Amino acid sequence: MKIKSSGSNAPDVDMTPMIDIVFQLIAFFMVISNFEQQQADERVTLPKNQLAKPPEVKRDDAFTLNVGFLKDKQGEIIDRTPYIFFGDEQIEVANSSNRLRQEAQFYRTIGTPLEDVTVEIRADREVQSGLVQTLIQKCQEEGIEFQRFALKATQKVSP
Amino acid sequence: MKIRNRNEGGEKIEVQMAPMIDVVFQLLIFFMLTLKIIEPEGNFDINMPLGAPETSSVTEPDLPPFKVRMEADPATGALSQLLFNGQPMGNDSTAFQRLNLEIFKSVNALKAAGPDALEKQEVEIDPDFGLHYKNIIEAISACSGKMVDGKMVRYISRIKFAPIREEN
Repeated sequence: MKIKSSGSNAPDVDMTPMIDIVFQLIAFFMVISNFEQQQADERVTLPKNQLAKPPEVKRDDAFTLNVGFLKDKQGEIIDRTPYIFFGDEQIEVANSSNRLRQEAQFYRTIGTPLEDVTVEIRADREVQSGLVQTLIQKCQEEGIEFQRFALKATQKVSP
Repeated sequence: MKIRNRNEGGEKIEVQMAPMIDVVFQLLIFFMLTLKIIEPEGNFDINMPLGAPETSSVTEPDLPPFKVRMEADPATGALSQLLFNGQPMGNDSTAFQRLNLEIFKSVNALKAAGPDALEKQEVEIDPDFGLHYKNIIEAISACSGKMVDGKMVRYISRIKFAPIREEN
């Protein structure tokens, strides 16, 4: 009987189909990855609405304000004080004037008129309405003067 | 020196697949992990020109804004009463449907009045301070239109806020 010596002839695996499939998968995940909604903060649970349709034309000059609560890993609210989230930073609405002024200053520096800038407010569904109104009012204080606002909601599929 | 493929006669170049597969799998895992399933988000535009709210009530003297008043339960922040031009609409889930119907009737009346009237008409949302924000979105949605067979029929596009009410 002929005994094969171990490790001599490795079986030839045809790699082509596997690479085909793997490239298909990569292409799929690349296309489906959403790099645009980077400003969305997971701590904010938006209200749902049927009429909330994504805009057909993307806004050129828009900045997002996320207003929500601090939540634990299960998504339970741990602090009933609403904050505006700027990345890791969190600011109470009452103390947000300086930050908004910086934002307005930025648009002035790059030469964009403030009336062309849309302030997109992503507020948590349980935030007090008066607080959202206060935030809009703060965005219109002297030296800030934003004029266009949009309230965000997630699209609810109609039954 | 080790000479490879001593036994083979032909000059076959072997492509090293292992490093490529390593990199490709790394990429695949990266894209799989970074994938976040985000629901599509939409906007409701709010019309808040500078100088509001003091001067806003006199923008169109002939056309007073529709007033949507929302009262909140001070303890929970839930909607306790929805009023359209002072007329109660209730506080349950059908309240916003009733509001939508009232807006529809008013829009029809405006269309009969003239082509410009509808465009100039404003809705003023006047909520209690503590009211949950989701009710605002419901009210704005009820005023701005209705979905019919997957298409949006627009009612009123000019929506603004009334002056802020004091926190209880």
